[in-house]
Amino acid sequence: MNGRLERLEFHAMGTACAAAVTMTPADQPSARRAGAAARGEVAACERVLSRFDPDSDLSRLNAAAGRWTPVDQRLLDALELALRAREETGGRFDPTVLPALVAAGYDRSFEQLVTRTPRRAEGWHAGSSIEVDRDAAQARLEAGAAVDLGGIGKGYAAGRALVAMRDAWPRLAGALVDLGGDIAVWGRPPEGGPWRIAVADPLVAGRAAATLAIRSGGVATSGRNVRRFGPGASLHHLIDPATGEPAGPGPVAVTVVAPEPAEAEAHATALAMMTAHDAAAHVASHPQLSALYVEHDGHMLRLGTLPVTERHILVRAA
Amino acid sequence: MQRVWTVVLSVWAMLAVVTVLAWTHRPAPLASQAAPQTVVVKGANGKQQILTIQPSAAHATTSTSAVVR
Repeated sequence: MNGRLERLEFHAMGTACAAAVTMTPADQPSARRAGAAARGEVAACERVLSRFDPDSDLSRLNAAAGRWTPVDQRLLDALELALRAREETGGRFDPTVLPALVAAGYDRSFEQLVTRTPRRAEGWHAGSSIEVDRDAAQARLEAGAAVDLGGIGKGYAAGRALVAMRDAWPRLAGALVDLGGDIAVWGRPPEGGPWRIAVADPLVAGRAAATLAIRSGGVATSGRNVRRFGPGASLHHLIDPATGEPAGPGPVAVTVVAPEPAEAEAHATALAMMTAHDAAAHVASHPQLSALYVEHDGHMLRLGTLPVTERHILVRAA
Repeated sequence: MQRVWTVVLSVWAMLAVVTVLAWTHRPAPLASQAAPQTVVVKGANGKQQILTIQPSAAHATTSTSAVVR
């Protein structure tokens, strides 16, 4: 196929985003339609899932904790994905960790956090209940609880955007959505073969640690190499639900490949709080996952079915 | 009249120099960096095989997620 990759870049969900499609020059109108559909879907997800927008469905749900609240189907979807991820990760991923995150000092933009001293959330406990009523399009949180859909919301939006592109252009040959590193791919790139996804080296800015080759699925990375704050930059934004405080020993970063980007994001968050031994056991018990676990000394561990040649890794997500 | 011709020749000379400099310092075409390359490999039995080598550039990069707004 003598095609090329048409790429639409935009800003949403607090990060740089891109939607790309495989196309020929004759496909220009369809490609633009698909790009617009992706951008529109990401914007719709942000309006529903943002915890920083007081008018979002998520903010209304948090403010009304303890009462049934009518919400958009997208929030119901994301809550169900988060609940399933909490169960699959044994609680290492917990969407109700928000009060502990805020208590740790992450209640404002990163730039204002650098000198803050953390404290523990009083009365907070992990695993607060979340109820979803699909028929009535409503949800209810445990009184006093609050939800942060953080990264899993981005992953969910990436998956939704990919579906929106395929709906807008039924003959679409291949597409990629990148929401600040949460990536969903489907079909084939212009040159054929799998999509090539670089994994940023968490220890050397601007360098790739590895390249993944993926035909369909989602990719996400979590870690503690960015967004550090507190005295001496000793803290990070990963809250361990087991303690309610910034997570202890773990990798500098971990990249997960899964059939869906939201699933990849949730498991990446969980793996980022695990020792290498526990992470290997977790991936082994979830055959749909594979991961690249980067330790603080730069050593990389392949978890799951990742065939690796030096720094080039081939992964099949689905 | 001679002064006019001198000015015209000077302008033409300057344009020629600028053209030469622009030609010799033109950027490399970007398209060729992303295009697949075809190579012919001769096997041990003398049989030739045509291989397509994909460029190493990635379509996207994953990195530690920023916190969602």
